[in-house]
Amino acid sequence: MTSTKQNGEVRIGYFVCHCGHNIGATIDVLKVADVIKNLPGVVISREYKYMCSDPGQEMIQEDIKEHNLNRIVVAACSPLLHENTFRRATEKAGINQYYFHMVNIRENASWVHVDKAEATRKAIDLSRAAIQRVFFHQALEKKQVSINPNVLVVGGGISGIHAALTLAKAGKKVYLVERDPTIGGLMAKFDKTFPTLDCAACILTPKMTEVKNHPNIELMTYSEVEKVSGFVGQYKATIKRKPRYIKEDVCVGCLDCIDACIYKDGKYYDEFNVGLSKRKPVYIPFPQATPQLVVFDPEACVRLKRGKCKETCVEKCDRDAIDFDQKEKFEEIEIGSVIVATGFQIFDAKKIPYYGYGKYQNVYNALEIERLVNSSGPTGGQVVMRNGEVPKKIGIIHCVGSRDEKTNIWCSRVCCTYSVKLAHLLKELSGADVYNFYIDMRTPGKGQEEFYNQVMREGVHFIRGRVAEVTDWAAEKEEQGKLIIRVEDTLIGVVRRIPVDMVVLGVGVEPHSDADKIRRLFNISCSTEGFYLEKHPKLAPFDTASDGVYIAGGCQGPKDITDAVAQAGAAAAEALALIDKGFIEMEPNTAFISEDNCSGCKSCIPLCPYTAISFDEEVFKAKINEVLCKGCGTCVAACPSAAIDQNLFTNDQIYNEIDGLLKYEIV
Amino acid sequence: MTFSFLRTRKWKYQKPSRIEQDKTVRRRIKYESELDIGFREKIAKMAWGERLDSCMQCGTCSATCPVSHYMDYTPRRIIDMVRQGFKEEVLNSFTLWVCASCYSCTVECPRGIKITDVMYALKREAIKQGFHPKRFLIPMLASKFYKQVLRHGRQNEGRLILSLYLSANPLLLLRNSKLAFRLWRRGRMKLFEKGIRNKASIRKLLSSIERREEEPVQ
Repeated sequence: MTSTKQNGEVRIGYFVCHCGHNIGATIDVLKVADVIKNLPGVVISREYKYMCSDPGQEMIQEDIKEHNLNRIVVAACSPLLHENTFRRATEKAGINQYYFHMVNIRENASWVHVDKAEATRKAIDLSRAAIQRVFFHQALEKKQVSINPNVLVVGGGISGIHAALTLAKAGKKVYLVERDPTIGGLMAKFDKTFPTLDCAACILTPKMTEVKNHPNIELMTYSEVEKVSGFVGQYKATIKRKPRYIKEDVCVGCLDCIDACIYKDGKYYDEFNVGLSKRKPVYIPFPQATPQLVVFDPEACVRLKRGKCKETCVEKCDRDAIDFDQKEKFEEIEIGSVIVATGFQIFDAKKIPYYGYGKYQNVYNALEIERLVNSSGPTGGQVVMRNGEVPKKIGIIHCVGSRDEKTNIWCSRVCCTYSVKLAHLLKELSGADVYNFYIDMRTPGKGQEEFYNQVMREGVHFIRGRVAEVTDWAAEKEEQGKLIIRVEDTLIGVVRRIPVDMVVLGVGVEPHSDADKIRRLFNISCSTEGFYLEKHPKLAPFDTASDGVYIAGGCQGPKDITDAVAQAGAAAAEALALIDKGFIEMEPNTAFISEDNCSGCKSCIPLCPYTAISFDEEVFKAKINEVLCKGCGTCVAACPSAAIDQNLFTNDQIYNEIDGLLKYEIV
Repeated sequence: MTFSFLRTRKWKYQKPSRIEQDKTVRRRIKYESELDIGFREKIAKMAWGERLDSCMQCGTCSATCPVSHYMDYTPRRIIDMVRQGFKEEVLNSFTLWVCASCYSCTVECPRGIKITDVMYALKREAIKQGFHPKRFLIPMLASKFYKQVLRHGRQNEGRLILSLYLSANPLLLLRNSKLAFRLWRRGRMKLFEKGIRNKASIRKLLSSIERREEEPVQ
């Protein structure tokens, strides 16, 4: 062990934690403390039941004062959990917090081993490595970096709208980016919301208008985030603005161009009405769309496809707002934090062939029914099937695509209650007999069970059993010309065939098919099902592993409007807490260049993933920007002249740690 | 016992079994001491059925089953009864013998339970413990088929049916004799046929499978 870089006499205090039974049951903690006591430099070696508790921390502080310690090693759980706790305790006792080092003997030893003797030996080896390492620790200071107060909100559904409004009301500048021509998301398509049967449009459209009119919100619809760079407090994002072929500042949304279009009737798939109606090449998604701007569909518009058309729309537009030469634009914005609220998509019922979606015209998915019962929908709120008839008997199938190993294994959480809601609405509007087929009825949340009870009392039939198939093959005369649902009534224990006119599939929810692309832009991890992964499932469901990136709403998991709004508010508050502090403290584990050794070969510059290294042409040496450096260590390893070193990971520290680890002793 | 359900053309709901038609008042409560606690584990091991526990009783198996019309307990109920240790009810059930092994339930089960394999395990267990209904054709056919293959190395339809009807219900023999005669005249049915040459090796093969059945799988 070289001792050239040690600063003064080293007095180490070693503390090992039982963590209740977590460590104490597998590792002989007393023995570990005993062995470490005899190592050079160790002044005191103690064990305690819960080191992270108040008495544990006080013990460390008292020992520091009493024995004049200047290095602290704690062997306990993961540094992710309690490194900061012990660093604070060390700082309180009057020594620099970077003289502290933590050894993880829980996740790295006691939890992963069964053999008590071997686990104890491993704990001793890990501790010895740390003891040898702290000899070379130095006092370091955290650096403060200012934060850009602007926030980017990705996704203009109810979560994104709520988060953006909360931030804007607090006086922060918000960029709200939405992929579709209008904000509102899935909620804008609903008629009523469960369990209170509030009209969705009545509670959503005022919020949408508020977003549009708020001076602090810059609304970017028909846009996508293309690229993100930087780090917490200093992100840069490139936004792709797709061309609407309309001058956004000139158009007033009079919709004259739609009437003037050479297509007299709609001919193209209407995304907003999920195909229940047709639209023209120039359209507005729905009358209350925000912003009130029309869009030209470049795949449908004759002028854009062939370059030649009568251009009746241009003639009609007296404000000259139509511009067929618009191109894709890229805008760069600077923000400090991001809230991702991209939502979910519904399960494609065509993946389950035995329910006949796409094969029988009277099999609908739930979103289509939401539009069908909507008073502003394609039929004006009349429940009329695709063949023009009013259904007399309707079957609603729950759990389509959910709770199934062949499709999605999770419970989609909202389907039970929305199916109950649709049962109520369909019965009310058409007077039909409604059957609900469920596996388990899950109506958690305030007021939902009461709502379920109310709908039961309205005379809606509830049959417990998963439907095996929907078929038009009639076994009896009464079944002819109908769709027959084959199901076991599991509470009675017999198989039933129930002929109905209309089948509604209560489809589950799943992550967007391109959720992965957005996830990678912001460096968010995901769970096995593809929903974005929160930092902690209970204590930080709105935070992610990337600093300054928050998630809200359906992109984190299936949830109803109530929960989505609550999570959006929490994410916004978290972003505000970050912004209002004004600065962030950066860990001092940055790399630095010793200028004497740098040969100016520039090999480190292209390797840095954070573009933190620049080249000083005057002295012909590389330079590291400490603010940008995240301490990944790539340049340290790559430097051919060993001129780059990294705080907290200096060569002396690492070599001595390895040396301590390999000093195998039979104990 | 009867094959009568196979003659029913109309797919109508029928009263499931004689037990349920019985009008005498019986004690229906089940005491814990009457259950066989090890039954679940035994069947699960036989049928690679470690997933038996994840059944959520959705009833897809019963609803998709083409012959569940004729079962006294639907497959879903059988699964739960196996889990709870209702050994006598399960092994006495009609369901096991009505199962046509079409594998629809196994294909559609949302929890990936191999229901057909569970049915086979139950059938084996029922035969082994002598639980199947007396002179009921399906289990008898199975055991006679097996015995014949063991003895001759191959099976002979004519002799199989003959011995089955003789021991089950000789009247059935009379009813089908016309068909048998027509088949025999066209050379489609033989009463006497030579066995295979190396009978010893097929016996060895079958007995080794038999032995593996005895041992717990996995």
